[in-house]
Amino acid sequence: MLEAIPMEHGLALAGVLFSLGLAGVLIRRNLLFILMSIEIMMNSAGLAFVVAGSRWHQPDGQIMFIFVLTLAAAEAAIGLALVLQLYHRYHSLDVDAASEMRG
Amino acid sequence: MTFTVQQFQALLPLVITCATSVLVMLSIAWRRHHAFNTLVCMLGLNAALVSVYFAAQVGPQAVTPLFIVDGYSLFFTGLILAAGLASVTLINTYIDSFKYNREEMYLLMTIATAGGIVMASAHHFASLFIGLELLSVSLFGLVGYSFHRPRALEAAIKYLVLSATASAVLLFGIALIYSQFGSLAFSEIGPQLHEDARPIVLIGLAMLLIGLAFKLSLAPFHLWTPDVYEGAPAPVGAFLATAAKVAVFAVTVRFLLLEAIGALQIPAIFHTLAAIAIASILVGNLLALRQNNIKRILGYSSIAHFGYLLVLLLTGGPVFGVEGFAAYLTIYVVTSLSSFGVVTLMSKCGQDRDADQLHDLRGLFWRRPYLATLMTVSLLSLGGIPLTAGFIGKFYVIVAAMTFQSSWGWAMLAAIVAGSAVGIYFYLRVMVNLYLAKPGMHKFEAQLGWGQHTSGLMVLCASALVVYIGVYPETLMQLVQIAKAAGVQ
Repeated sequence: MLEAIPMEHGLALAGVLFSLGLAGVLIRRNLLFILMSIEIMMNSAGLAFVVAGSRWHQPDGQIMFIFVLTLAAAEAAIGLALVLQLYHRYHSLDVDAASEMRG
Repeated sequence: MTFTVQQFQALLPLVITCATSVLVMLSIAWRRHHAFNTLVCMLGLNAALVSVYFAAQVGPQAVTPLFIVDGYSLFFTGLILAAGLASVTLINTYIDSFKYNREEMYLLMTIATAGGIVMASAHHFASLFIGLELLSVSLFGLVGYSFHRPRALEAAIKYLVLSATASAVLLFGIALIYSQFGSLAFSEIGPQLHEDARPIVLIGLAMLLIGLAFKLSLAPFHLWTPDVYEGAPAPVGAFLATAAKVAVFAVTVRFLLLEAIGALQIPAIFHTLAAIAIASILVGNLLALRQNNIKRILGYSSIAHFGYLLVLLLTGGPVFGVEGFAAYLTIYVVTSLSSFGVVTLMSKCGQDRDADQLHDLRGLFWRRPYLATLMTVSLLSLGGIPLTAGFIGKFYVIVAAMTFQSSWGWAMLAAIVAGSAVGIYFYLRVMVNLYLAKPGMHKFEAQLGWGQHTSGLMVLCASALVVYIGVYPETLMQLVQIAKAAGVQ
């Protein structure tokens, strides 16, 4: 039973995962890894929803998780299309290669 | 749950917009005929705009716990639909020279508009989230649509990464709030926020506001704006600046001003938001000084304008604030459509960039005098010069800040005055370019009969509205009462 696990622990885990994802987005320069880090952030938010939902004995948290999954899938689809375009043009997945606009 | 006829009627604009996106998709699958697909999209969006009137007949309706359809939501539904329709009109001539698939742009535009409508009527975090993502995900596609241009790819990547990060922050914030209150409905969370501001609730609220501030491009979170505006095709820029921002701001105000008014009384939240407003006004106006690209200037100008709107939100209160920001947003939408419209009329999607450098506009008055006049009118309105619509909007903001009677009110007022003064300088700088001597050769030219196309007519109408609202604001002030009536529930 999840009841045995306090909600705070679940939220703390989600918070740690979220920070890892955010750090990945900020530090990594490879577009593929940036997309993976975003996925981690999304899923940590989903985990927080599930944990919160189980505290209130409501299905709402799990339903939000399904929405989050849908969004993550849609974003991955577009993100991977951009990865292909980026590789076509620069033969590299480094996002700094594509960064021309300044100011 | 029963779904009555009245509720269905209230939801009609959303239903018609969604049906239009399905219809456009099917008609693209059936035949790639540009004119026909444009027609389907335009007819559908026009029908949705007309249906706003019928939805207004059934009065305020709560449709499932997710949506509420009242005067407030219908006002912004109408505004978003009008802005979406105007952007679709602009696309039509712009994209004719595009070598690759042209029709999907209409599909993405309709889906994004549907997302905007969902947000305008959202009354629950689930519908807020779905609306926001319908809007953002279709915008990823739209921003990168002209993918043969290197800048479009860069803009799309930046927008995707930053917008997805903002969405994740927003989601985590919602999850934290949900973990404390056990509800996702605005009306249940709103009253509790003020009484029960535990640290974890504050963190959640702050993350929620950060996510929304990203989408509104307020000051510390504005870095993506100029790049995305520059890289995106001009009609998409028009949509980003108008419909997308209106939708996010409408739901932000619905949550902060109409449901969770107590949140603004938490000192930490209020001080942070006031600082963000001042920073947005200063950053937007000051950074625009160095730009030579009209789309970037419009991007910075939108940062500043949303700073003004945030001042209105903080100082106006639920009655004057809602009236003022409905008027301000309408004015901003009309003005942006006309300025982005002129840039769109001069550009073609087939070229390697848009006519967005200041020297592309040089001497426009001597080549296309009427087009240059429209651009002048919209720039004057963005600067807030009297007799144009922008002045009326700025008037609302200044009145709200002056009656607020606190040191933050005066600080914000000072920022508005300083920002406006700087703003007039860089708008005039663009304007002067329009009237300089005509250069010997130029790469971009609007078509000779631009005024006879639907897109040209749309830009003409938008500019006429800018002047009309500026000279005779009564009509707008009456229209705004629709949104306000709902504000005082």
